[in-house]
Amino acid sequence: MGVSGLAMTRLLVSARGFGPYRNAVDALARRPALRFALIAAIPVGWILIANLAPLVQMVAISFQDRYPVPPDEPTLWTLRHYAAFFDTPHYLSAFVRSFVFATLATLLTLIVVFPVAYYLSKVAPKGRRIRLLLLVIAPFWISEIVRSFAWILMLANRGAVNSFLDLFGFPGLPLDLLYNNISLTIGVLYLTSLYMLLPLYAALEKIDDSVLQAAADLGASPVKRLIRIVLPLSRDGIVGGCTLVFLLVIGLYAMPQLLGGPDDTLFAATIGQVFSRAGDAWPLGSAFSMILIGVALGYVGLFALLFRSRVPRGSA
Amino acid sequence: MNRVSAAALPVWFWVFVAYLFLPLFVMAAMGFRDSNFIAFPIHQWTARWYGEVLADAEILSALWVSLQVAVYSMVIAVAVGLPMSFLVARTGGVTRALMITVIVLPAFLPVVVSAIAIRMFLGNLGLSTGVAAIAFGHAVGSVPFVVIMILTRLSAMSANMADAARNLGADDIIVMSRIVLPFLAPALFGAVMFCLLLSFEDFVRSFFLGGNDQTFPVLLYARLRFGFDPGLAAISTLVLIASTALGLYAERHIRRRNLGR
Repeated sequence: MGVSGLAMTRLLVSARGFGPYRNAVDALARRPALRFALIAAIPVGWILIANLAPLVQMVAISFQDRYPVPPDEPTLWTLRHYAAFFDTPHYLSAFVRSFVFATLATLLTLIVVFPVAYYLSKVAPKGRRIRLLLLVIAPFWISEIVRSFAWILMLANRGAVNSFLDLFGFPGLPLDLLYNNISLTIGVLYLTSLYMLLPLYAALEKIDDSVLQAAADLGASPVKRLIRIVLPLSRDGIVGGCTLVFLLVIGLYAMPQLLGGPDDTLFAATIGQVFSRAGDAWPLGSAFSMILIGVALGYVGLFALLFRSRVPRGSA
Repeated sequence: MNRVSAAALPVWFWVFVAYLFLPLFVMAAMGFRDSNFIAFPIHQWTARWYGEVLADAEILSALWVSLQVAVYSMVIAVAVGLPMSFLVARTGGVTRALMITVIVLPAFLPVVVSAIAIRMFLGNLGLSTGVAAIAFGHAVGSVPFVVIMILTRLSAMSANMADAARNLGADDIIVMSRIVLPFLAPALFGAVMFCLLLSFEDFVRSFFLGGNDQTFPVLLYARLRFGFDPGLAAISTLVLIASTALGLYAERHIRRRNLGR
């Protein structure tokens, strides 16, 4: 690095003697507006094209009677696709099921992961914390599909769990563990736990040990310390983790189809199915997408507003 | 109470670790089952599935598609995310908050919705599904993380460094290539790895944007709906080992750099 870096600098410095390069660099230095435009062009273009345009187009399609519009017909604007959502019990129930499931899954993830994060950040021996954290983060990079498959192998009728219980002559085997809410919950927790762990770990790590020590010295029981000190001080982590997990679960598409029951369609899968039908279902699917985005972000925003820490930053 | 809770936490932690790893070991073991069907217990073991899946043209081509998509989307995401971070770093107040909101927007949308919106958008422009479309979709998903990683590092950089270089006669290009980029190197490395891994594990965007080009997770999904055989466990295990190793390497590398070792 050192030698090649030096050579690189020499090259760049000698380039300064090169007329056109020098003119270009000096011209740039004299025109701050041009410099700014050069920096801004790609990012602004990207935001418009990649982040906003597809979404704006989707909003527009959701209000159109048909899409694509046949060439010799006028574009008709309508609310009927939004009305279809409220008129069809099938869609409405999938929507409600999604929100209930995502809320419960978020709570479950919080309850399971909080002690893990607490152990990692406060109790585990200091020298081993990073290694233990890496251990828990390791499965993070495995595809949702591979993880679903691994749980199919665990929970199937002739899967690992049933075959293990069989060794002990467990009665009533095989247990129906797969393709129902049990398997889906286990699989989803597998997917969400790390999104909860990292914000919680970051928040808990910041809590000064001496605060906890002081509370203990003053006679606060572990439960009281948890409720009065640890939970309030880790509130930002809890809100952050819950937000991430909720949004992840509400958008789950593949895992519910691989691990869940056939009758328990979640709304994201409903949207996917609408789109994989004939092309004229696009406005309907777009309207559903808008409803999902609107309600999910509103729900999460409300949650964050209610529970975000009221203590000004820095004074905690 | 104290003693109970002191023992309960480590136990809970290790049960959680077992929950994370047990299915993966079970899957790895299943890849060695000498039978055409998936079932436990395993009486006879074989390594033939590992040989078979590595000779399976469909799997190899899916892995190749995944790799291409990962590299393309990473290059796009970093090329866009880097100037975007500089732009955000120059702004402040409401503008900055607004910009960050718009930039991280894709990370908060349900992936299904985002993927379908991009598909309709590209379709409208007359662009077809395939490797390029998936790469674009993955880049849309990665840019927010790239920007956050680079901005975090950028905020630790003192403006004096660039000013000092300028006073010593460095022009913009020298400041950028010899001061700013080397300072950002750990964040860039992290962003590169993050983009590659995020792209490689994605299913939904690849599924909706891929058309006939199947990435590995899409192929696995299709095969799982069709039926199971130990070969799927074998190839999943290989992919799992590769991506986990890469992820852990990146984590360690970044932590070392941050500790200044």
